[in-house]
Amino acid sequence: MSITDKIPVTILTGFLGSGKTTLLNRILSEEHGKRIAVIENEYGEVGIDQGLVINADEEVFEMSNGCICCTVRGDLIRVLGNLMKRRDKFDYVLVETTGLADPGPVAQTFFMDEEISSEFTLDGIVTLVDAAHIDQQLGRSDESSEQVAFADVLVLNKTDLVSDDALDTLESRLRDMNRMTRIIRAENAKVPIETVLNLSAFDLDQILKRRPTFLEPEYPFEWTGVYDLDAGKYELMLEEGPDPEMSLVALVNQGENEEELKDGAESSVRLYAEKANTLEPGNTIPYGEHINLKLEDKGNKSFILNIEKPTKVGLFTQHTAEEFNMKVIKSDENKEIPFNTERFWQAEHEHDDEVGSIAIERFGDVDPEKLNTWMGRLLSEKGVDIFRTKGYISYSGNPRRIVFQGVHMLFTAQPDKEWGNEPRRNQLVFIGRNLNEKEMQEGFDKCLI
Amino acid sequence: MPDIEPFSPRGMFHEGWTAEVSDYAIACGWALKGKQFIVGDVAGGIFAFEGDTGKIIWKKENTHSGGLLAMAIHPEGEIFVTSGQDGNVQICNCHEGKVIKTLDLGKGWVEHLKWSNDGLFLAIASSKKVYVFNEIGEEKWISEDHPSTVSAITWSNKNELATACYGRVTFFDIVNNKTNQKLEWQGSLVSMELSPDGDIVACGSQDNSVHFWRRSTGMDAEMTGYPGKPSHLSFDDSGKLLATSGSERITVWSFIGNGPEGTMPGELCHHTEPISSLAFSNKGMLVASGSRDGSVVASFLKNDGNGDPVGAAFAGDLVGAISWRPDDCALAAVNAKGVVNVWKFKVRTNLFSKGFK
Repeated sequence: MSITDKIPVTILTGFLGSGKTTLLNRILSEEHGKRIAVIENEYGEVGIDQGLVINADEEVFEMSNGCICCTVRGDLIRVLGNLMKRRDKFDYVLVETTGLADPGPVAQTFFMDEEISSEFTLDGIVTLVDAAHIDQQLGRSDESSEQVAFADVLVLNKTDLVSDDALDTLESRLRDMNRMTRIIRAENAKVPIETVLNLSAFDLDQILKRRPTFLEPEYPFEWTGVYDLDAGKYELMLEEGPDPEMSLVALVNQGENEEELKDGAESSVRLYAEKANTLEPGNTIPYGEHINLKLEDKGNKSFILNIEKPTKVGLFTQHTAEEFNMKVIKSDENKEIPFNTERFWQAEHEHDDEVGSIAIERFGDVDPEKLNTWMGRLLSEKGVDIFRTKGYISYSGNPRRIVFQGVHMLFTAQPDKEWGNEPRRNQLVFIGRNLNEKEMQEGFDKCLI
Repeated sequence: MPDIEPFSPRGMFHEGWTAEVSDYAIACGWALKGKQFIVGDVAGGIFAFEGDTGKIIWKKENTHSGGLLAMAIHPEGEIFVTSGQDGNVQICNCHEGKVIKTLDLGKGWVEHLKWSNDGLFLAIASSKKVYVFNEIGEEKWISEDHPSTVSAITWSNKNELATACYGRVTFFDIVNNKTNQKLEWQGSLVSMELSPDGDIVACGSQDNSVHFWRRSTGMDAEMTGYPGKPSHLSFDDSGKLLATSGSERITVWSFIGNGPEGTMPGELCHHTEPISSLAFSNKGMLVASGSRDGSVVASFLKNDGNGDPVGAAFAGDLVGAISWRPDDCALAAVNAKGVVNVWKFKVRTNLFSKGFK
């Protein structure tokens, strides 16, 4: 039986009150022509309107070896085992977990139990987040972080109760925790059904199509503003902000389209790697150098920008302009010059949560044996903390790429499409708690041929 | 699904009869001392066939809303019980299929039914509780809640019931309402069989092992190395051999001498896909196995658990259940497509000189 013949299963998680049941009812009432079976925990928030609903007891079984990565849900095995015997087979299964449940054992069941994995395939994990309350929950409970970490899709629900700014901040926090996920904003759990069902979350190509930047490198700066400036003297004015100093690279002739911004970013990364020169307020900012603005003093601080002939200046700053209310002012006219373009970057220093994600992208082939040894050791040592793993790899000598996904220590790998003329490369994403990015990247690099 | 080509019955298997029920057949058994064969399908259809010819005697559908989960025929063969997702148990008459009594146990699935050997008691497992009724449906005993859903029940003697759930096997004296023994093991026990003398308790575990205890000595042991979980276990009538599923091979542990600890099990490699049902004959060292590949094989075993096939047949699809006729002169198999096959099993002995009767 190939993966496409198997019945897809979506796991729906989210805290109490996040809107799981509302979403379930939407899915069931929509005209989609699918026969959907819903497996629900005993303590549903409110009733399900229709569809075949089966109660499960949330029975988590730990195996005799005591490894908590090898837990499964006994009730789920029984319910699914019975479902797969029915002649009027279902096209789809939805498993709703309670708000406090760890999605791990549910997901692991589809890897651990050979009878279940031969008939069902885990299509995706959808986590509902209550935009108004998740911020507090993330700090308080491990479960909510884990639910975010496991998600293929995060539905940021109840957006009507929260300001746009707060949503942006929350979204960026969630994205830091799980870079693989797709975030959808919703009011009253109103999301298009195709965004939560048939995700083929296994298919990394689809993820890339949806979110081309998910493997974007992390930059040492958060923000770029491009200013169109005539010749003359300007001041870069900053108010008090969250940091007593801020790194910056200023580039002249900075273009404004995406390609040019990325070029500028790459040059800046190299400059950022060099030691910064510290500038006191009133000093002149040099171009093409890594500098560190001293911002300890109270009140406004200004630094000088001299422009000899008209140009576009790109400022690549460690923090966003907003955080310091940063402005460029033409000195003789005392007039603020707004930026033409701004661009936010995925910044590397933002790891407030223990849960985070790591992406590894490398061209070339790997040695299957070395990779097995490395992955085996990594997952056995860190399996508890690695929630999900996804990616594809290029095995030397194999004409097809190998796709894999995993939950904790368990993972499946299978041959996928042929490489053809495409350059051979490897993309791996790990989501987990307290992951050491440098160590993992170095580990993987040793597996390359 | 099957990777094997259909083939005619061979060896000691001979053409008998075939029939069909409405849905995936999950339970079957011989009633009226082999004169009748009853099949239950997953949707709640119950069908009674004439044992010799396969002629339909009676049928009824949708007996349990949500579906059927278990069926058990009384040792005397005059009545049988069914249970389902509706939380009900129905005691029925084998002759007409008429419901004698319905027991409503609440909203949990009723997944396991077991008559005591003397037929005086019926044990019923529903979710975390086990109930004991008598044959006319009067309640005799109820257990406390188990720590998790009860995964198997069986009688160790006429008053003593064994239950398995996550983490333990418990023995209850249901007449004096006391707990006789608790055997603990951190693991999800998915199946349980007792040796005929009740001393050896064997359980298949979710983590692909068989765990067993000897009640008389308190010794326990674990047999690992299975690729899948051993959901099907069967002891021969003497308690010498335990046949186990868990892969496409039948693994047989011998309890003769100091075994099975430290010994190599017998292995029977007849199927191409995992074993989906397993049953020793009522007498003797004959084990029948059905597989997901649709094949059914009977093997004659030696004391070390190894053995040779003596007959085989093709059932068409995943074998849902198999059942030896009480005289072992016929073997029945039901499959995932609802097909019922009964083969004559001919033994050349003085007793059965004409073979199948």
